[in-house]
Amino acid sequence: MNASGFSKMNELIDVFRLFGFQFFQNALLGGTIAALACAWVGLFLILRKEAMIGDGIAHTAFGGIALGLFLGINPLWTSLLVSVLAVLGISYMRRKGLAQSDSAIAVMLAVGFSTGLIIISLARGFNVELFSFLFGSILTIDQTDLIIVSILGVSTIIVLGIFYRELLSITFDEESARLMGIPVRLLSLAFNLLVAITIVLSIKVIGVILVVALLVLPALSALQLNLSFKGTTLAAILFGVLSMTTGILLSAIYNVATSGVIVFTAAAIFLFTATYRKLE
Amino acid sequence: MKEKTPILEVSDLQVNRSNSVVIEHANFTINRGDYVGLVGPNGGGKTTLILAILNILPRTKGIIRLFGQDIKSFSDWEKVAYVSQNAINFDPQFPLSVRELVALGRVNRSNLGRTLKSADWKAVDDILEFMGISDVADRRIGQLSGGQKQRVFVAKSLVRKPEIILLDEPIVGVDAETQEKFYKKLSDLNIEKEITILLVTHDLTAVFCRMSKVMCVNRLVNVSEITKSLKPEEVLKEVYGDHFHFVFHKHECKRVFKDE
Repeated sequence: MNASGFSKMNELIDVFRLFGFQFFQNALLGGTIAALACAWVGLFLILRKEAMIGDGIAHTAFGGIALGLFLGINPLWTSLLVSVLAVLGISYMRRKGLAQSDSAIAVMLAVGFSTGLIIISLARGFNVELFSFLFGSILTIDQTDLIIVSILGVSTIIVLGIFYRELLSITFDEESARLMGIPVRLLSLAFNLLVAITIVLSIKVIGVILVVALLVLPALSALQLNLSFKGTTLAAILFGVLSMTTGILLSAIYNVATSGVIVFTAAAIFLFTATYRKLE
Repeated sequence: MKEKTPILEVSDLQVNRSNSVVIEHANFTINRGDYVGLVGPNGGGKTTLILAILNILPRTKGIIRLFGQDIKSFSDWEKVAYVSQNAINFDPQFPLSVRELVALGRVNRSNLGRTLKSADWKAVDDILEFMGISDVADRRIGQLSGGQKQRVFVAKSLVRKPEIILLDEPIVGVDAETQEKFYKKLSDLNIEKEITILLVTHDLTAVFCRMSKVMCVNRLVNVSEITKSLKPEEVLKEVYGDHFHFVFHKHECKRVFKDE
């Protein structure tokens, strides 16, 4: 083996050694949970034609992060509170006929983001921390963050697992679902709350700016494959988890921004599946 | 003679939409085992009447009873199935197989959050077989022909074993042969499974050949039992106007009438 070969072998050994570190294990576990929840929730978001609600709530969550940093509370909790309020606000505006869905999302996005800006300007000094929430810092996930991500993620997956047929029924034909006695309004609200929870648990992983990519890209890639609903769901989850783990590994090897590589991998999978569909 | 059990009773019904009267003075009864053709000109109130029966549209006046209960307090909606005229206008890219779609018919208020059991899947497979669409069970719904889509939606509505099914123009835009097969399937349902059927249609020949009652709707509602002595033209002129001329293809009509 020549010098270059030895060098490559050493790099590989270094990569395997990464798996022994707590921070790397936290990143992989937290990332996998977030990717799974995002892919499943994202599939419903796309089918309900509500992908922008994901982006809207993510930007609103920014206000919650700033509030948490300002008050010295874990920003995940405050962003969860603000995101849930945003969902309720959007739902209220739609129900009362004050605004259509897209306008209601725009209003909440603007209010949440501007609240965050005001808080930042009032309290200087947490710009570095704020940066990590904006763009994610998966390799700095500590035990507390991992517990929060796990609780929120597993809860989301369990609720979706229990009610996915009802949600599917509502998504496919709301009138028919209502006639069959499915509580359409309640379940739609519950789903939007799951969206808020999923976004919040993904903030540390990928950041508020790019979380929409993790919601949309894996599901969109799976939809290119012309599978059944079960097949599409499994493919979306597979693509999400694959983007996440590949992204974490590649970013560790090449020392580049993890969230960027995760989204880049997800986009590459989408390109691949879209090409496959065109060629089929 | 078999005793007639009323399933749907409507008295003095009035339904308004956008402040104008669409249905008024409607009085009729549908009994168990009836196969009713609901006809009338476009805009005459056929869909409005169906939506009022389903309590989707509020009534302005009158009473609607399903299985003896006022629809305001009626909760046994599993007994009632509905296929809307827009059912087949879904997103063709929606990722759903025929079997998965029909299985959604088993999801209702009484089993929220419950996993579908083997009995549910057996019911799905049985109804696919009955509707003659077992061979496309694993196909995506967007890949089906018009006639197959309609049978899939009827299968979805039947899979929870309803006692009455309301179909709002389910076979628009399909060829005559597919239409005939569809009507035959509905006749089988009516006879073999004793399901009461209320079908909105413009196919008047099918109504007078296959069905037991004709309900003419044009703001007012008239229901007539279809017998050999019934003169279709006389009944239909009441809703379509005096200029109406109905050509009844007797040679295509294979039904034996009650008074024959």
